[in-house]
Amino acid sequence: MSVGGPALGWRPVRPVSLGLLLFTVAGLGYFSGFPAGFGVVAAPVAAVVSMVLRSGPWPKLDPYASLPVLVAVVLEAAFAPVGFGTELLAGLAGVAFLVWLADDPTRPAGGPLRAFPTIAIPSLALGVAWSAALFLPAGTLPIGVAGALLAFAIAAIALLVGRPALFDQEEA
Amino acid sequence: MKRSAYRPLRWGPIAALLVAASVVLMLIGVVTQNPVPLFLALPLLLAPVAGGVEAPRRPPKVEVEQTVGGGAASVQVQGVIRPEVGIDARDLLVEVERPAGLVGDAPPRFERTPTEVRFSVDWVAPEPTIVEVGVPAVAWRDPLGVVERQATSTAESIVVTRYPPELLRIGAVRLERTTALPGETRSHRVGESGEFHGIRAALPDDPPRRINWRASARAGRALANEYELEKTGDLLILLDARPTPLGPEFDEHLFSISRAAAIGLSESFLAVKARVGLGVFGEFLDVVPLSTGRTQRVRIEDAVRRAHLSSVSAPPERCAVSVRRHFLPGLTTIVLSSLADETWTDVAPYLRRRGYPVLVLSPSPLPVLAARSKLSPVDERLADRLTHLLRRARIARAWQDAPAIDWETFWSLGSFVEFVRRPRTRRAG
Repeated sequence: MSVGGPALGWRPVRPVSLGLLLFTVAGLGYFSGFPAGFGVVAAPVAAVVSMVLRSGPWPKLDPYASLPVLVAVVLEAAFAPVGFGTELLAGLAGVAFLVWLADDPTRPAGGPLRAFPTIAIPSLALGVAWSAALFLPAGTLPIGVAGALLAFAIAAIALLVGRPALFDQEEA
Repeated sequence: MKRSAYRPLRWGPIAALLVAASVVLMLIGVVTQNPVPLFLALPLLLAPVAGGVEAPRRPPKVEVEQTVGGGAASVQVQGVIRPEVGIDARDLLVEVERPAGLVGDAPPRFERTPTEVRFSVDWVAPEPTIVEVGVPAVAWRDPLGVVERQATSTAESIVVTRYPPELLRIGAVRLERTTALPGETRSHRVGESGEFHGIRAALPDDPPRRINWRASARAGRALANEYELEKTGDLLILLDARPTPLGPEFDEHLFSISRAAAIGLSESFLAVKARVGLGVFGEFLDVVPLSTGRTQRVRIEDAVRRAHLSSVSAPPERCAVSVRRHFLPGLTTIVLSSLADETWTDVAPYLRRRGYPVLVLSPSPLPVLAARSKLSPVDERLADRLTHLLRRARIARAWQDAPAIDWETFWSLGSFVEFVRRPRTRRAG
């Protein structure tokens, strides 16, 4: 038998990361195209459900704890209207989700700080992308170009994920 | 156990979830020509890559130190894990494997600092046992949980031995028979104590002539000479590792108890500078020759740890012949055997015929069988009476050849120790 997981019982809630997540998903819900009030309520409720799954005494549910809030945010983003504020809020919701992931109550406190480089790179990319969208001139072509670039990015990431040895210094 | 094999980077389930969510968002964004899902997808898509970039480029090295504490049935394993420079110890996942033979489901307690992880775990040994506690599995995982990499360590597993506390006293028994090693020639006994045997810490009532002044000066504390006449006799511990009709599972269980008792006996007699040898008789006889000291203790512990049940039952005559080849007659011999097989398989009569005074310590299979019984309480009581009658008859038959002690309460060997202390017992051979 292997023992090493978290102790059974309720684990403490990390309020800062949860507050950040609630704030951003509620904001995205407010701007989304859902019926009045539904978006503002649904996403925070999903976040709370995720928090309960992660902090509760059910270690088997830990791997699925992030699903409710992720599904809720994806739905909100899918129906959100075009707008620079909405785009920024959607990106921030993604970053807040990463911060919340790093603040795992089963692990020592300070996860977001230790994960700073991992979160900073996507945040920086988000900042560059949003600034480009805001300040650079755009036409009808950019969406096609963006689609091609994203397809390329997916292929590159699939390659990296499929061959983790690419990150190694030693020979396998 | 060395953990030095190559371990590649592994993606966690969160990484797959993030990439899948990103792909869905991108498809939605492209199909609906809406950039909002793309902005949400961007951080989710890049996080696994950033995690891979930030991960250690090779398996991190960790230094693991483990100690065993507790007493009697309690086993407390404590340890410290220190990662190499550049690795935050708070990102280490530690899994402590509970060895078979110990019970307890309490999770380990961890204290984490940036430089080390301290852990402590409490188990219970339900009966005397010798088990190996492996090195904890250590892995580095990024705080997001997207990538993981197994750490390497060169630590060795530790051995936990638990035996009845009464065995600590048995070393005080002075064995009557002392034999010389093959080729050993004894000089005439000189002075008041005869042949020199070794050096021990001086006692307050030791006369000045007994003090070894040169050794005391070197050690910085008073040491005294010890002579052959003062030391106790020699002992051979013989483990019966042959299969019985009980089956491999029960045999393994009883053999584990016998091994623990063998360790307890050897430690106790070695502590009083007696020479102790070990024999493990399965298909053939594996021996540790007679010797004394700390090195012998390690040799015996190592041999007992490696001892395993044989799949083939060998005739007892072979055991006696092999013992005679390695040890001189007259050596006090304690045979650890479950006596679960037929009488003709007993090794005691054959050893006696070759001049070895034998004492049989027999861990009883009845408690083990009763613990796994599925009978009703009424049937169980009846079965218990019948099996005890059969066991008593079996022990009585064994007594015809050598004193045989039925060991049923595994955490108590008081009756055995008292028995060995009675002089007539040792003359039985």
